[in-house]
Amino acid sequence: MGLLRYTTYRLVQAIPVLIGVSILTFALANLTPGDPVRLMLQGQEADQETIERIEAQYGLDQPIHERYLTYMGGLVQGDMGHSFHRNASVAELITNRIGPTLLLVLSAYVFALATSIPLGIIAAKRRNDPFDHVSRIVALFGVSTPSFWIGIMLILIFAVQLGWLPSSDLVYPWWSPETYGHDGYGEHFYQVIRHLLLPMIALGTLQMATLMRVERTQMIESLQGEYVKLARAYGVPERTIMRKHAFQVAQLPIITIVGLNLSTALGGSVLIEFVFDINGLGRLFYEAIIQLDYQLIMGITMIIATMFVIGVVITDIAYAYIDPRVTYGESE
Amino acid sequence: MSSEPLLRVENLKTQFFTNAGTVRAVDGISFEVHEGEIVGLVGESGAGKSVASMSLLRLVEHPGEIVAGEITYKGETLFGLEEGPDGELREREDMLSNKAVRDRIRGNEIAVIFQDPMESLNPVFTVGGQIREFIELNRDLSGKEAKQEAIDMLREVGIPDPEERYEEYPHQFSGGMRQRVLIAMALACEPSLIIADEPTTALDVTVEGQIIDLVDDLQEKYGTSFVWVTHDMGVVAEICDRVNVMYLGEIIEQAPVDELFYDTKHPYTQALLKSMPRPDRTVEELEPIEGVMPEAISPPSGCRFHPRCPDAREVCQRVHPEPKEVDRADGYPHNAACVKHDVFDVGYDESPPLEKEPQLTASTPGGEDGE
Ligand SMILES: Nc1ncnc2c1ncn2[C@@H]1O[C@H](COP(=O)(O)OP(=O)(O)OP(=O)(O)O)[C@@H](O)[C@H]1O
Ligand code: SF4
Ligand SMILES: [Mg+2]
Repeated sequence: MGLLRYTTYRLVQAIPVLIGVSILTFALANLTPGDPVRLMLQGQEADQETIERIEAQYGLDQPIHERYLTYMGGLVQGDMGHSFHRNASVAELITNRIGPTLLLVLSAYVFALATSIPLGIIAAKRRNDPFDHVSRIVALFGVSTPSFWIGIMLILIFAVQLGWLPSSDLVYPWWSPETYGHDGYGEHFYQVIRHLLLPMIALGTLQMATLMRVERTQMIESLQGEYVKLARAYGVPERTIMRKHAFQVAQLPIITIVGLNLSTALGGSVLIEFVFDINGLGRLFYEAIIQLDYQLIMGITMIIATMFVIGVVITDIAYAYIDPRVTYGESE
Repeated sequence: MSSEPLLRVENLKTQFFTNAGTVRAVDGISFEVHEGEIVGLVGESGAGKSVASMSLLRLVEHPGEIVAGEITYKGETLFGLEEGPDGELREREDMLSNKAVRDRIRGNEIAVIFQDPMESLNPVFTVGGQIREFIELNRDLSGKEAKQEAIDMLREVGIPDPEERYEEYPHQFSGGMRQRVLIAMALACEPSLIIADEPTTALDVTVEGQIIDLVDDLQEKYGTSFVWVTHDMGVVAEICDRVNVMYLGEIIEQAPVDELFYDTKHPYTQALLKSMPRPDRTVEELEPIEGVMPEAISPPSGCRFHPRCPDAREVCQRVHPEPKEVDRADGYPHNAACVKHDVFDVGYDESPPLEKEPQLTASTPGGEDGE
């Protein structure tokens, strides 16, 4: 099977998972305490007739499985329902808020990978010398410190004390420079980075620390492989061994961890959005829960589940791409 | 014997400096390899065969180090020490630099084949790509020529459909096929010497036979010399021209293959031969060597084999025999490091036999009379 077919196959496989998630969330949302109609009326008194009328209007008088089917029917057409609290379409609310969250999570990963891989390799190369020990302490700090605390510390140091970087909100690269009154794309881009830097580090540190230790262990193991000995015996320079022979094998577990940690990163972004005052999906989700905004909760859960599943599928495909031992699905 | 040997190793010592102490893995071995020869390096596990092989390429792993001796290859000094003005040892001026060894010796001149064909190939690159990489590195060929050469070599070692197999990954090959790939890899670099470190140990007997026949044919065709590392005397008989028997870091017997088998001079070699399965022997007749080889970290005094030697006498505990010429055959010396030979003249015949401690293995062939 080719890589393209494998990708399609994996995506199709993800559909039942998503359906499962939707059933579970739908059931949970409908079993949680709090009568949606009463919430809608926001404390106003209403007679039985009005309540029934509203219930009929929103299909709340139907049995739960029918309501589920109606919901799913809308979902596949991009209609995620209506949030009464905000009096807005759920799809629209999510579209407006998903950008900052994706930007934050992706940049945190870029930061984590760009730092952890070189550092892990150096630590593997200089095993047990001071660099390795320092990196071990940094990693321990990274995995054991909550990201929001790192965020607060970064704000205190770099925004409050030194005043180098802004402490809140993001500048969206997808908005035009004029919106911000920026002088062209150069400054716009510069501002995007400046605003992103602290939250990105706060969210990415945990990933960086985990990945760095894995990278180190994997490189050490790979460097002891017989194939590395063989390469040396054939005169391959040490640099090529590091960059090619040992490196490629060592990256396989990294890919898996990146995929699996996506949920941790999405979860972490809720807190980071609060600390840095970012208008992202995480904060919207939190507010929806507090307000018992069922439609919105449903919608966001489905989006996060989809993102997670897509992340795992991408991981699988990347893995299959660099590890030839993975057979693509049923054939071979 | 007359011409200058391809490789000459003199008094090579390689040690590992571990926390537990110094491991004298290779402890003063000397041997030669001539052009077109297959020279065996035989001994039990832990004798120092692999360390000796890697020392030839100056690829001893940390915490190991070559501490003494001289390795000469085609007249060039691969390793050599001399005494400096203050009496300290330093590398000789004419010793090849690390870069020279890497660029000109490894692969180009001396190639290796390792024991484990499953682990020796990189799992994430194609088989063909790996051969091609080493050819490009070690020969003056363009990428396209190197690829063609790799395919030809795969065909040469008996891999069917080499064009298709070239694109495949190691996991798609069986153990025997992978070992053929490693042989192709070694030959494709056109070295003058190939070090084969137990290349058939991981294979089953039928495949082992096929691989040995293949190497025999190719060796004749290409005229490449081999250092063939093994613990199997049967393989030695089949393929080697001359043999070095190692015990605890030392070469204790050295002879052309027929002399070694039919005119054995060292009790350890004798014991190895007796423990070897042969068609004319039943399993009950096999005699395993008594006891286990001691650790190279604290070798026994005197002759290192004395705790296990059926012929050991008191003098063997005291005198450490260097290999000496005890016979000659085909213009080659037959060397043995055993004091029972007259050339040693240390009073073996008068020395009382050793009272021996009970050994781990059963079946003791006499010599236990006590004093
Ligand atoms: N990296 C190392 N650190 C410490 N000691 C080592 C190291 N490598 C090898 N040795 C020691 O050197 C000695 C010789 O080992 P070597 O691998 O050469 O044996 P061998 O003859 O090749 O055995 P085998 O048949 O098992 O391959 C052994 O005592 C071994 O413990
Ligand atoms: S020197 Fe003594 S102990 Fe060593 S092999 Fe000869 S007889 Fe045996
Ligand atoms: Mg070995």
